[in-house]
Amino acid sequence: MKLVEKLSKSFYIARKDMRVYYFKAPNFTYGLLMPVALYLAFSVSGTLSPATLISGLVSLVILFGTMSIEAVSVVLEKQTGTFERLLAAPVSLIGLVLGKALAGFAIGPLTAVAVLIPVSLLSGTSVQNPLAVFIAICVSSFTFASMGILVSCFARWTPEAQMYSNFFRFPMAFLSGTFIPVESMPQFLQIFSKVLPLTYSIDAMREGLNNSFITGSYLFDLGILLLFSAVFMFASTKVLERQLS
Amino acid sequence: MTTPAIIASDLRKKYGTLMALDGVSFTVGKGSIFGLLGPNGAGKTTTIRIMTGLTVANSGSVSILGHDIKNDTIEAKKKIGVVPEISNIYEEMSAEQNLVFSAELYGVPSSERKKRANELLADFGLADRSYDLVAGFSRGMKRRLVIACGMVHNPEILFLDEPTTGLDVQSTLALREQIRKLNKEGTTILLTTHYLEEADQLCDTIAMINKGKIVALDKPENLKASVTGSNVIELSFSELVSETELDSIKGVIEVHCVGDKVRLVVGDEKDIIGEISDFARGKKLNITTIHTLKPSLEDAFLKITGLNPEEAVKDKEQLKPRRNDG
Repeated sequence: MKLVEKLSKSFYIARKDMRVYYFKAPNFTYGLLMPVALYLAFSVSGTLSPATLISGLVSLVILFGTMSIEAVSVVLEKQTGTFERLLAAPVSLIGLVLGKALAGFAIGPLTAVAVLIPVSLLSGTSVQNPLAVFIAICVSSFTFASMGILVSCFARWTPEAQMYSNFFRFPMAFLSGTFIPVESMPQFLQIFSKVLPLTYSIDAMREGLNNSFITGSYLFDLGILLLFSAVFMFASTKVLERQLS
Repeated sequence: MTTPAIIASDLRKKYGTLMALDGVSFTVGKGSIFGLLGPNGAGKTTTIRIMTGLTVANSGSVSILGHDIKNDTIEAKKKIGVVPEISNIYEEMSAEQNLVFSAELYGVPSSERKKRANELLADFGLADRSYDLVAGFSRGMKRRLVIACGMVHNPEILFLDEPTTGLDVQSTLALREQIRKLNKEGTTILLTTHYLEEADQLCDTIAMINKGKIVALDKPENLKASVTGSNVIELSFSELVSETELDSIKGVIEVHCVGDKVRLVVGDEKDIIGEISDFARGKKLNITTIHTLKPSLEDAFLKITGLNPEEAVKDKEQLKPRRNDG
């Protein structure tokens, strides 16, 4: 199958997912309210710089906004029988997983920008490199969407998917430098934070906020996020493959 | 046999310790209607799932118009349409959106998608509900839409798993007509059904499957002919007669009372009518009705699968939870 044909099918799946699952008020409000509430709870101490808090908040919004739906999108389809319609169609498993992840990838930047602009203005923080921040938002969205798909492929029903999802999201929120700088954490937690994708999302976002030029650290963060995405996508495909057999 | 559209070779599938399919092999001719019959849990759905790429067999192979479903999955899937037993449409989308989405997945050119969707909506009597969300549809309407979705890309082979289950009489007849029309246009059809009459009316060839094995594979008329060793005579007398008395008639193998009628299973006795007449005269009874019953596909099914009638009529619906109960 030609690449364009493959990608177009993934796009149709993504568009369908956005229509069916994403453009619903409860999904938007949960994805926005939960991280904003966390942000307010931790920012009152005033110990973190605005750039650190904004990068943490934007990354959290992406994490919660994309994962809350992605984590249940496959499970919901399995429960309603519609997933078999996708499996029966001439779409490769990787194309199917990509389509699912693309829906989250499209929603992430919308919610992130909706938070980034007002918060930057209110805190008087200038974004040094808007393009770099936007790219970091897009890459982070894809990574967290892929992570959500992996969770969804494993889960057998919706509550299980939500449980797995929270099992990853909440520890990440606290161990990735969102509210507490990674450097001030105990050594063993610092090592742990290095294997969490949110750490690299926050770091890339902070680099874009603070520097007008592209740094090596920024590129490294994006590379790690893309690597995480590839691993999540590959693992999701393998899980589905195993379930088919 | 015409050119094969589907070749299933020695399919084996095990779920835990249960052998769901145990060496299933058959060939479906191009342009034919092939029926897969069997009691619940016989392996019909597993066979269809393997042939449509929804499950992978432990061993064996399926060729769809020359494409191996396991190794050349995408090309094989392009040739087929799948209508599952359970509704698989998006209730949050309209009927037209569902059809267009299927058309997109199967690579129907963008200029033809809406046209094709509207043709099918008209064919299935859903044209006036094109833009309504499926969530508000009745069960029958959803069923029709599921079938339309399976046909949107004009597949060369159409798999129909219990296509008329849940449909009213009018929709059932319309769908059977649609199946015949599609077949006349060249579509190969493989269907499973627990309506034996439906299989008898529609299918060119029938495979009976039981406990994961094909137990009979032939044309419906040949399958029915396989039970002609014994004939059935249905008759009624002016007064009720006990089974024991009827059993004494020479040549009668079995006696079944059905309401005020009796069914006599008889052998090849040439003078059985004379024997029955003599019996009636002797008892001073009048024969009020009498006719011979031709063996039906149901008789063949029961004989071949070895099921008793109660097991055979168990409705699959009662065993499975359904989503589309609108």
